[in-house]
Amino acid sequence: MNTPSSDNIYLPKIAVLDRSVDEIAEVKTFYWHFDDPAEQAAFKKFRPGQFAQVSLFGAGEFPASLPPSPTEEETFFTIRTVGSCTAALHSLEPGDKFGVRGPYGNGFPMEDYYGKNLVFVAGGIGLIPLRSCIIYALAHRDKYEKIQIYYGAKSPKDLMYLQNLREWEEGAGVEFNLTVDRAEATWKGHVGVVGSLFKKPGVRVPVENTVAFVCGPPIMFRFVIKDLQALGFHDGQIVSTMERYMKCGVGKCGHCCIGMAYVCVDGPVFTYEQIKKLGEDI
Amino acid sequence: MKARLVHRDDVLKIVDLLRQKGYEVVAPFFGRGRDTRFDNVTDENRDEIQIHLPNPYHPPKRFVLLQIERLLRIHQREGQIEIEPTYREPKRAIFGIRSCDIAGIWHLDRFFLGREFRDIYYEKRRENLFLVNVVCSDPERDIGAECFCVCSDTGPAARDHFDLQLLDLNDGEFMVVAGSPAGEAMFADPIFRKGTSVHSAKRRAVLESARRSFKPSTTSWFSAAIRHVSAGKVAEQTWEEIGNRCLECGGCSYVCPACTCFTVTDRRVGPDEVERVRIWDACALGGFTRMAGGHNPRKAVHDRRNRRFFRKLSHYFIQRELSIACVGCGRCAAVCHGDVGMPSVVEMIRRSAAEMETHEHAQL
Ligand SMILES: Cc1cc2nc3c(=O)[nH]c(=O)nc-3n(C[C@H](O)[C@H](O)[C@H](O)COP(=O)(O)OP(=O)(O)OC[C@H]3O[C@@H](n4cnc5c(N)ncnc54)[C@H](O)[C@@H]3O)c2cc1C
Ligand code: SF4
Ligand code: SF4
Ligand code: FES
Repeated sequence: MNTPSSDNIYLPKIAVLDRSVDEIAEVKTFYWHFDDPAEQAAFKKFRPGQFAQVSLFGAGEFPASLPPSPTEEETFFTIRTVGSCTAALHSLEPGDKFGVRGPYGNGFPMEDYYGKNLVFVAGGIGLIPLRSCIIYALAHRDKYEKIQIYYGAKSPKDLMYLQNLREWEEGAGVEFNLTVDRAEATWKGHVGVVGSLFKKPGVRVPVENTVAFVCGPPIMFRFVIKDLQALGFHDGQIVSTMERYMKCGVGKCGHCCIGMAYVCVDGPVFTYEQIKKLGEDI
Repeated sequence: MKARLVHRDDVLKIVDLLRQKGYEVVAPFFGRGRDTRFDNVTDENRDEIQIHLPNPYHPPKRFVLLQIERLLRIHQREGQIEIEPTYREPKRAIFGIRSCDIAGIWHLDRFFLGREFRDIYYEKRRENLFLVNVVCSDPERDIGAECFCVCSDTGPAARDHFDLQLLDLNDGEFMVVAGSPAGEAMFADPIFRKGTSVHSAKRRAVLESARRSFKPSTTSWFSAAIRHVSAGKVAEQTWEEIGNRCLECGGCSYVCPACTCFTVTDRRVGPDEVERVRIWDACALGGFTRMAGGHNPRKAVHDRRNRRFFRKLSHYFIQRELSIACVGCGRCAAVCHGDVGMPSVVEMIRRSAAEMETHEHAQL
């Protein structure tokens, strides 16, 4: 019985690690490609906001966002080491093999947002899934109106994707605002929670005809939602990604099911309006 | 649907026929006391197969969705990784499967095969599965105190999704209905004889009396419970009450013919070899949603119980799966230490919804 491998929804494909780069403490970015070029080509059709299931054989499998934009050449993950699988990934050397399957989930409907202002609000490693959308939007710059980025990290040494941050700071066509929760006196930038950036002199968040992307830890999420609502955003204008314990990524194991949704297939992207209806905490 | 008669003494010959055709047949047997079980039929135990008996607690679901099932074998040698999916395609027949469990398998079919992602492991086990349904017609031996298939509309006689269906006419004859071409093909054997309209009338009479032998129970409110859960008309306090009684053993899920959740884990089986297996899991268990770092969005027990009943009873999921995840077998009621099996929960939901109805509190 030779079943084509694509028919087995649980079957990972072999991936090779090209190199890994330190981002911040415990977080690294892993550049990789599929062993099979045909797999690589098929996978590259992913959408911003989708995720993949990453296999470290012997440790297990875990979901990981896709921080690259499909408009970029390389495929990579940015992963914080927290448990058995993520630690196993962190111990890999260039050339080592592991497994990947996907892409999964709905992703952000970036085409539906053509003609709108995009406001990205990221806290900590919440920048991982949003990086994909930002790069994508900048690659299709003429399709969107204003593009603003608000990024908050704990401290200056918790800032990720430094190369990109520099580009956004200097780049035309994007307003970039950065803050840290606390910093040494040498830090010249803004200090405060990410929502405080909205009140920074010179900042004007467009509300009309705008989509606000919010990703970050649960506390940050709750505060930013309040700030955005105060600015006049309604819940359907705010989009985010939900994180849930996942085992399969394809709507079968039942672990990620909340309210009426399977986060892995109906999400992970939801509007805040939808999240409220799911009836469970972010 | 075509039907035939089989003499009582010939009924087990259906098992023999299936075995001759190359099927591994499982059938129900008595264990000790109330204990009954599905087991492989051999030449030795063939005569001990039971037609009328209480439905085994361990559901026949395990023949299509294994309690522990290997998905992949992974060989790692000198930096190379080879992944080998390990499929099994048994040619199996389940003889004596009850109507509720037929509906359970139908629910699994809808869930594992009916949506965008098809589960190939389930599909391969299901493909060659032959189902011989026995209608529960004996109020003493077949129909248990907890059974409520009449309320969930899944029994006592399954309408479809079987290959053959047997009904004891209580006069030495069984009426056999074919539910599929494979079932009908069996009728070529001479043990299957043509009947008359007298037999059809008898079948209807037996069914009618079987339906009447269910005791009135709390599950008469089953459809009302579906409505209340769907409309969110169950007080938080009621979920808490249900949660307080749940001991988080997971037993209700393990005996349920329509529960589908599983977890996946890797285990080392040799120096260069790892297996990836899936194992039945239960939403009652605390670890079901606990994420790395300890954050658990469903910390309270009642949130988890709420989940089980919402998944099973809400219109939303019934429509999504085009079938219902509670088939009225009553097993969860029989095993639950805290008396929060489906029938009790239906009753608690009914009371809670009544409390919320303003007209219940009308004043003189
Ligand atoms: C859609 C999605 C995208 C994600 N993207 C990223 C990312 O880009 N970078 C990153 O560092 N982390 C991300 N996470 C979180 C990441 O999946 C967990 O940190 C990871 O599963 C922990 O696995 P572990 O084996 O190291 O930990 P363990 O505690 O050993 O976990 C064992 C298993 O439990 C499950 N599990 C545990 N925690 C989580 C969790 N938080 N979410 C989902 N499953 C979990 C997984 O199946 C995991 O293999 C994402 C989670 C989701 C749901
Ligand atoms: S059988 Fe009862 S006690 Fe056990 S998990 Fe289910 S509801 Fe809770
Ligand atoms: S929920 Fe209980 S009564 Fe319903 S099918 Fe499952 S075990 Fe049977
Ligand atoms: S991760 Fe398995 S159902 Fe969503």
